[in-house]
Amino acid sequence: MTTKRILIIDDEDDIREVTQVCLELSEEWEVLTAESGREGLAKAAAEQPDAILLDVMMPDMDGLTTFQRLRANPATQNIPVILLTAKTQPAEQRRFTQLDVAAIITKPYDPLYLAEQVARALS
Amino acid sequence: MMNRIRQSLELPAILSGTVAEVRAFLGTDRVKVYRFHPDGSGEVVAESVNVEHLPSLVGQHFPAEDIPPEARELFLKARQRSIVEVSAQQIGISPLDCPETGEPLDYDDIRFRPVDPCHVEYLTMMGVQSSLVVPILHQDRLWGLLVSHHRSPRRVTERELQVVQLVADQVSIAIAHSTLLSQTRAQAQQEATVNRVAKLLHSMTEMQLQQALEQIVTALQGIGGRVFIVPQHPGQAAQLVTCGEQPHLPTDWGNGDNGARGTEAKLWIAEDELPTAPQAKPPSGNPNPTAQTHPTTFEQSPAWQAWLALEATVSQNGDIWAISDLYRATLPSDLALAFLDAGVRGVLIVSLQYRQQQLGYLSVFRNEIDVETLWAGRPDRNDQRNYRPRQSFETWRELKQGQAQEWTAADIELLQAASSHFAMAIHQYELYQQVHALNADLARDIEERKQAEIAICALNAELEERVLERTAELQRANTELVREIGERERALRERQKAETSLERLSRQHALILNSAGEGIYGLDTQARFTFVNPAAARMLGYEASELIDQSMPAILKHSQPDGTPYPPEENPILATLQAGADRHLAEDLFWRRDGSCFPVEYASTPIREDGKIVGAVVVFKDITERQLVERMKDEFVSVVSHELRTPLTSIHSALGLLASGRLSPQPTKSQRMLEIAVTNTERLVRLINDILDIERINSGKVTMEKRLCNAADLMMQAVDVMQAMAEKAEVALGVVPISAQLWVDPDRIVQTLTNLLSNAIKFSPPGATVWLTAAVESGDGTIAYARPSTPTAKFQVKDRGQGIPDDKLETIFDRFQQVDASNSRQRGGTGLGLAICRSIVQQHGGHIWAESTLGKGSTFYFTLPLAQSEGEGQ
Repeated sequence: MTTKRILIIDDEDDIREVTQVCLELSEEWEVLTAESGREGLAKAAAEQPDAILLDVMMPDMDGLTTFQRLRANPATQNIPVILLTAKTQPAEQRRFTQLDVAAIITKPYDPLYLAEQVARALS
Repeated sequence: MMNRIRQSLELPAILSGTVAEVRAFLGTDRVKVYRFHPDGSGEVVAESVNVEHLPSLVGQHFPAEDIPPEARELFLKARQRSIVEVSAQQIGISPLDCPETGEPLDYDDIRFRPVDPCHVEYLTMMGVQSSLVVPILHQDRLWGLLVSHHRSPRRVTERELQVVQLVADQVSIAIAHSTLLSQTRAQAQQEATVNRVAKLLHSMTEMQLQQALEQIVTALQGIGGRVFIVPQHPGQAAQLVTCGEQPHLPTDWGNGDNGARGTEAKLWIAEDELPTAPQAKPPSGNPNPTAQTHPTTFEQSPAWQAWLALEATVSQNGDIWAISDLYRATLPSDLALAFLDAGVRGVLIVSLQYRQQQLGYLSVFRNEIDVETLWAGRPDRNDQRNYRPRQSFETWRELKQGQAQEWTAADIELLQAASSHFAMAIHQYELYQQVHALNADLARDIEERKQAEIAICALNAELEERVLERTAELQRANTELVREIGERERALRERQKAETSLERLSRQHALILNSAGEGIYGLDTQARFTFVNPAAARMLGYEASELIDQSMPAILKHSQPDGTPYPPEENPILATLQAGADRHLAEDLFWRRDGSCFPVEYASTPIREDGKIVGAVVVFKDITERQLVERMKDEFVSVVSHELRTPLTSIHSALGLLASGRLSPQPTKSQRMLEIAVTNTERLVRLINDILDIERINSGKVTMEKRLCNAADLMMQAVDVMQAMAEKAEVALGVVPISAQLWVDPDRIVQTLTNLLSNAIKFSPPGATVWLTAAVESGDGTIAYARPSTPTAKFQVKDRGQGIPDDKLETIFDRFQQVDASNSRQRGGTGLGLAICRSIVQQHGGHIWAESTLGKGSTFYFTLPLAQSEGEGQ
């Protein structure tokens, strides 16, 4: 079984940590983390992960800005991005669906099926 | 003698008596009364004579020359008596009055002088030797002479003269009486004639015009007469009544064989009976061949009328013409011949008038007569100038034929009197005729009306029957009508009630429309504004009147929420007009007059009449404010959702992993998951508490339990609470308390102070000092340290942190508005602390704000009002 790498970009330390645990339980993912959008952009470009799990609401550079930067950079423009967000308003959800994202996972997610959700989205 | 003379009032008898008595007294051969005629001639009218001695002269006339005018003058003016004694060739003169003055003389003796030889010869030829002549006067005129003749010489004594004078005076008186009697008789006779005429004319039964005419003709010794009545109105014929001889009109006046000639009188010769005026044959060579009509009576002749107009009248009114001798009149010759042919020599004509109305003419004709006169001797043809006295007094009978008869004043007076009755009668007869005609018409009308009444009676009977039938019908109809009227009245009352309600509703609707906050406008089928309420006009930036009849799409530029204009076929409001669909949209855009737009929520509804769409009504409201609130609410919900879901995600994931048992082989990770779960649970609890807290404070559900507190106590209590956190962060806390009495909820003020101190500690670098100080401020803004009487206490918390940008100095007091959320959460903040602080301070009537310099730190201030008196804390 080939291990894939996934980059988690989230400003919440605890969420990064539990999300990493959830994904690593499946033994399919090698997890990279970044605590801000800027750090995520740099890691994505450098590490070329197979997928990016991107939080939307972050200080300094929010998730949507980070996404646009990823798409704007040829080095990262093809990396599938899954939005991981606590924003559940219908208008917000409609806005997210208009983006070229692989999936939108709403917080709180089911920790036991997160890895499966990511895999399904990427497939 | 006098008594015998006065035995009679009849003049002939008086005169006969007089001459007889005087002769008896004088004893002379002849006593006569000689009467003068107006022409100066005279006649012996009474005589007493001894025919054996002298011839009788009674009835004989003497020419005027026999007694010259000068002699007559003396008889009249001087009342001169004369006595001639032929044998003595003397004449005795005895005037009673002065010949020059006419005054009575005081002597009456007889004065003799020689007599004129001619006079002597004249008397001698008469066989008279002695004569006495006494004048007889009457009404200051010489009436006649009382004369005594004697064949032999005889001397007249003065006494005899006085007696004869007395007789002459008595004769004068007797003449006056007799004349008066004659006049009275004549007048009586005239009145009788007039009365007879009047009686005939004014007969109640029938006007006897013919008989009346005969009466007047007879009374005037006429041979004929006629009454001509002119037509009184157009269409009426002239009328003619004749009596006796009538003039024979010339042939060119009419039919020469008829006319009114003849002695047979006709009553009321009608116009059609009058001679028809033939059309005269024009004289040879007359250039005018036009037929002429001629009058059928002379009264109608213009020539006659012109003659009358020129002829003198004998009455004051100018309506009577007395023509005694037609030979002397200027009558047209043909007319004159017509009269003379009829034996008419004189004509007396009166114009019949009644109240200035010309009615006609009454004419009386007289013939000519022969007059025989007995003269005392025939005039000498060889002595035309009477140079010689009369040679013979033998009676000479003179006959004058064809003499005209003079019309006397009495004749004229009689005719005038009668004419008024004729005129009145004719007028009345005209009226009678008119009345008669009217009566005839009336009688005809009455007869016709009688016939009509009979017909009407028959009709009435039929009509009554029909009326009865009709009445029954009408009664039924009336009953039905009453019922319908009742129903209509009820309907009318209901309609009035409905109209009143409608009017009230209309007012209410107008009031509602004008008062409504929503914009309301109406459209016709062409999408033109038919009404616009004030709110709609205000929102669109127009006056309501400006919009009426304007095109709605052009004004509103109705657009979709993203600003794209609606194509006409997709415009929802036009769809309402076209398809009758109710449309309700929430976020379309309307455009104002100034070019700006605003979001609207509107409903368009069709207006139908009899199932046909006649327009639409649109109700809209500006939802700009609502959208802003909704956006803020959405953002808040989003933030709250995020803030709640973030720790919940950690908790859920951590516990989920633990619960699955998959981390059982990894105790360290399990432990870590537990710690994460606990930490985030605490965070979630704080968050929920803060959210609930701020909501309760803002909604007023949390009651501030205020009491009198000392500011210093509160400051020290807060510092004590935060002391452990400060030490952990290696931050020093400095406090400068003040003793000021506050009327506050101490727990909430301590909560505010600890929030501010917590934030200051969190964002201060290790080794820094966070200061908590306070001051009392007066109302004028000056600081008055430790003066309890000042109005407010101003607290400040000062740190040496990284500072806050200016644009966030206000927003940081809003919920979940942190300068750096990640830092805040990393430091255990919920993003609600400052919002809670502001709520608490505001609940105490104070203010809170922040001042900051980036890189140098921030200072948070808040004020609280001081307790005003001891009593305020009770």
